[in-house]
Amino acid sequence: MANRGLGQFYPASSPLHALDPRAKIVATAVLVLGLFLVDSIAGFLVVGAALAALVAISGIPPGAFLRILRPVAFIVALTVMFQVLFSREGATLVEWGPLEVHSGGLRLGSFLALRILLLVSAAGLLTATTAPVALADGLEHLLSPLKRLRFPAHEVAMMMTIALRFIPTLGEEAEKITRAQAARGADFSEGGLLRRVRALIPVLVPLTVGAFRRADELADAMESRGYRGGEGRTRYRELRFRARDALALALTGLILLSGILA
Amino acid sequence: MRLELRDVFHVYAPGTPFEVEALRGVSVAVEPGEVLGIVGGTGSGKSTLVQHMNLLLTPASGEVLVDGVDARTVERGELRRRVGLVFQFPEAALFAPTVEEDVAFAPRRLGLDGGEVRTRVRDSLEALGAGHLAGRSPFALSGGEKRRVAVAGVLAMGPEVLVLDEPTAGLDPATRGDLLALILGLKAAGISVVLVSHDLDEVAEVADRVCAIERGVVRAVGTPAEVFYGAAEEDLAPATVQTVVALGEAQRGVGRPVRFRETLAALEALAEG
Repeated sequence: MANRGLGQFYPASSPLHALDPRAKIVATAVLVLGLFLVDSIAGFLVVGAALAALVAISGIPPGAFLRILRPVAFIVALTVMFQVLFSREGATLVEWGPLEVHSGGLRLGSFLALRILLLVSAAGLLTATTAPVALADGLEHLLSPLKRLRFPAHEVAMMMTIALRFIPTLGEEAEKITRAQAARGADFSEGGLLRRVRALIPVLVPLTVGAFRRADELADAMESRGYRGGEGRTRYRELRFRARDALALALTGLILLSGILA
Repeated sequence: MRLELRDVFHVYAPGTPFEVEALRGVSVAVEPGEVLGIVGGTGSGKSTLVQHMNLLLTPASGEVLVDGVDARTVERGELRRRVGLVFQFPEAALFAPTVEEDVAFAPRRLGLDGGEVRTRVRDSLEALGAGHLAGRSPFALSGGEKRRVAVAGVLAMGPEVLVLDEPTAGLDPATRGDLLALILGLKAAGISVVLVSHDLDEVAEVADRVCAIERGVVRAVGTPAEVFYGAAEEDLAPATVQTVVALGEAQRGVGRPVRFRETLAALEALAEG
């Protein structure tokens, strides 16, 4: 029922939850970009330790946080495998028929894995500690200078909110339909890949049909409540950038700098 | 067949802050050839309960027995066939290009030959008064027609127990009446039916026995009259069985299954007296 994963908000009252979403978005963006400048194991350890400390402060149980990382485990494993097997840099460590493992490949592979894991952790921490509405508000604020260039900042933020909001709904719907088809004898775990993909058709078709119907209904509901886009729209919650938000940004910079220099 | 749930517990999202204990020691049996009504407020655990009947959900503890045998030892496909489960708003799971193919999905999964599949599709569509829809696209039907087709899709498996979760929710009176007639028809044919409903009128009308559940606990089991009057006497917590209590109290002394109009009349009589 509770489909926890990447992008899911985790309600709690922590200093991280209380920060201005703009501060958190900027900090995460800086951290994610900065991670590409980190190129030593010590540097990754510094950033990793800082993130672990932040998770501890956020009040999210470590187990629940690790679940955020689970979906990327496969991609990480694949990346490491490719790097290790196909890179020919540095000294040869193992030779096994056509396969060779070089020290450079091992280094590159582990760096990439760490980078992806830290990147996803940072992004996951942002979405876990920031309610979707606050996240969209923050984004809209940050993007609003672009409004002068006719960039639809409000609409983009609204679309993001809606998309985030409906991820769990679609998940629930998918689960319901899966069960209904299972009750009619569908089996999703037998046979080869092709059979399994074919077994998904009875789930995917109604799920898609339902998603379009839902989108239609949502549009109608929004319109009937007077939604006319961003023009002249006021907000219930005003964002306020406080001293602690500045502090958080400064701290992020510090973490990143020590990570790059380490 | 006799289907029995014995001391079943179910917990959603165990070990997370979202943990919910949906069933807390539920014991109830579906006797062969009976219509069992299950009533209770939203969130009382009705839907969780019925999903244990074909083990779509497995109990955290307790057991499900099919003719006295642990249901986990029955082959899964066989169990799903013998206990047909129609979900709430089952039309959300229609997927095939035509009604015929959609209804044929389950019998085909059973590995029946083409002739038998066609017979079953025709018969179950007929039973739902939807024979004329066979060639249409399920997505182009009205709400009531979709519901008929979706129920036919489960009936085509030839279940020994048919479980209907809120089958009449949001339906027009004609389709509703047909569905209730179908339930009585199945009962006459020796098939047990489990009817989950918010509508006490229809439960009183077709059920042999009623099981009232509240916050994951069975509060009363018996004939509709017993349960509906009993609820009033036992002073159950009002949050979810409020309606049951109100109807029961209004009906005291009438001595018949509860009907809405009679309730109104009784209430009016009380107000005037």
